[in-house]
Amino acid sequence: MLLLTAREFDLELAAIVPTAYGVALRLTRNRADAEDLVQEAALHACRGRAGFEAGSNFKAWFFRILTTTFWGTHRRAGRRPSTIDFDDAPALQLYQRAAEAGLPREGDNPTAALIDRMGTERVAQALEALPEDFGVVCTLYFMEDFAYHEIADILGVPVGTVRSRLHRGRKMLQKALWQIASDAGIVAETIGEMTC
Amino acid sequence: MNPSRRFTCEEAFRRLDDFLDRELSPTELGLIRDHLEICEACAREFTFEESIIRNVRTRLRNVQVPPELAARVSQLAALVLRDGESG
Repeated sequence: MLLLTAREFDLELAAIVPTAYGVALRLTRNRADAEDLVQEAALHACRGRAGFEAGSNFKAWFFRILTTTFWGTHRRAGRRPSTIDFDDAPALQLYQRAAEAGLPREGDNPTAALIDRMGTERVAQALEALPEDFGVVCTLYFMEDFAYHEIADILGVPVGTVRSRLHRGRKMLQKALWQIASDAGIVAETIGEMTC
Repeated sequence: MNPSRRFTCEEAFRRLDDFLDRELSPTELGLIRDHLEICEACAREFTFEESIIRNVRTRLRNVQVPPELAARVSQLAALVLRDGESG
């Protein structure tokens, strides 16, 4: 197996730190924990450098280490239970809810305006509300441009599992986004802005 | 493939997520595109869903990376990799 030199490995690692931190932040929900997770994953990666073949997908390899480290050490024992009922999370929720609430559905502006108004923290809060198995798949999907087979490789699950978790997770996410936006009065604000 | 084959709205909708994620075969991709050209309602739904994904991505990726983190990882890597090379 062809290995990277120490210098080449270091360069690959340095390039991945910003994206790794982004994913780590969404997984751990905490800046200090995210920094620890990235550093621990980097440590494991360096120690396991012999397991990476030059020319293969470094990003997928590193994120496999990062998610394994997350499951092993950073996963919260006492996860906050979600207050959102995901049993009923049909397709096209935001589309339907937007129509019921009187938001225009044409073009990009209605959702863009709603999500923009929610801000990063509230959108992240919606992602955090998902049950963990769905949340991890959705985090990898939204934070990075991974294909289904890459997420499957990272998590060590079949592609079909990624597909079903992602499809269901997106429906759950729409429900969470709408509920958080409604509770914060953002839906009403957006309607007011778009109809006046 | 039957050249006269067309997707119904239901068949197109079942492939909405895979279409948005570019996970369809070229044949299915073509059939979806053909359907969206003639079905305004589906085209509107697909565009709406695509815009949600795009906007959520933009928001979630808005992350400020601690400036010292890259340096700390680099120092860590230097230590471990140097030990590995000398050991």
